[in-house]
Amino acid sequence: MARMKFICDAERCIECNGCVTACKSEHEVPWGVNRRRLVTVNDGLPGERSISVACMHCTDAPCMAVCPVDCFYKTEEGVVLHDKDLCIGCGYCFYACPFGAPQFPQAGAFGLRGKMDKCTFCAGGPEANNTEVEFKKYGRNRLAEGKLPACAEMCSTKALLAGDGNVIATIYKQRVATRKKGPEVWGWKMAYKEDGNIAAAEVKS
Amino acid sequence: MIRRTAFLAGASVLAVALTGCGEIDQKAKTDKIYAGKKDERAADGAAFGGDKKKWEAKLAERSVAQNEYARTETKK
Repeated sequence: MARMKFICDAERCIECNGCVTACKSEHEVPWGVNRRRLVTVNDGLPGERSISVACMHCTDAPCMAVCPVDCFYKTEEGVVLHDKDLCIGCGYCFYACPFGAPQFPQAGAFGLRGKMDKCTFCAGGPEANNTEVEFKKYGRNRLAEGKLPACAEMCSTKALLAGDGNVIATIYKQRVATRKKGPEVWGWKMAYKEDGNIAAAEVKS
Repeated sequence: MIRRTAFLAGASVLAVALTGCGEIDQKAKTDKIYAGKKDERAADGAAFGGDKKKWEAKLAERSVAQNEYARTETKK
């Protein structure tokens, strides 16, 4: 049985935000809610790395453990989903999640916190597949259409991989074996010389 | 006697070592029971009509298509 997972290859991610845009566009996610986002370390410095982060659909999900109304469930494929009709917007899942995946719309007055929204692995929610109701609450159900999440399928460098854990782990292993070297093959050192000085040799000549 | 002891020791070491190759339980380690509405399986939509094998094959095809080394491999 497939176990759906994401892998983000930090050596390939070019911080284009294509995954973020694809997600927002695919599910018509409201303003202020980001199901997926990019985290960059050492921004602007040699050795800069970016990684695309969303719900990682944990095997032993802490959000499920802390939810006071038990609105979380796991599908047969290991996708962590929740029922928005039950969610009370308490925010416990946000504190429990190590990835900051749960998002809360704050459109109302007085800091009103709406029902939690998060990455669904493009698998919709507990409504009939590919219906208008499901789309409005949870976004598009691409999985029921036989498609992978929009973020991964839109990724131009294929840094973000989605699908059965075994399959994407094999793809990643092949990449590492093909690179033969470590991180120096990609990114700053490859593009801007070993010392990180931006093409100093070319500028001088 | 010594051979038997060595065999048993070897077998037990092998058994312990092989436990690392086992499948990790994918169920959440929480006693909580989901209280919401029942969801449809992904294969139950209009696109696949409940044919899980067909759905899995389609998804596997798309998963493998993410590997550009396989996609761009030149035919010999």
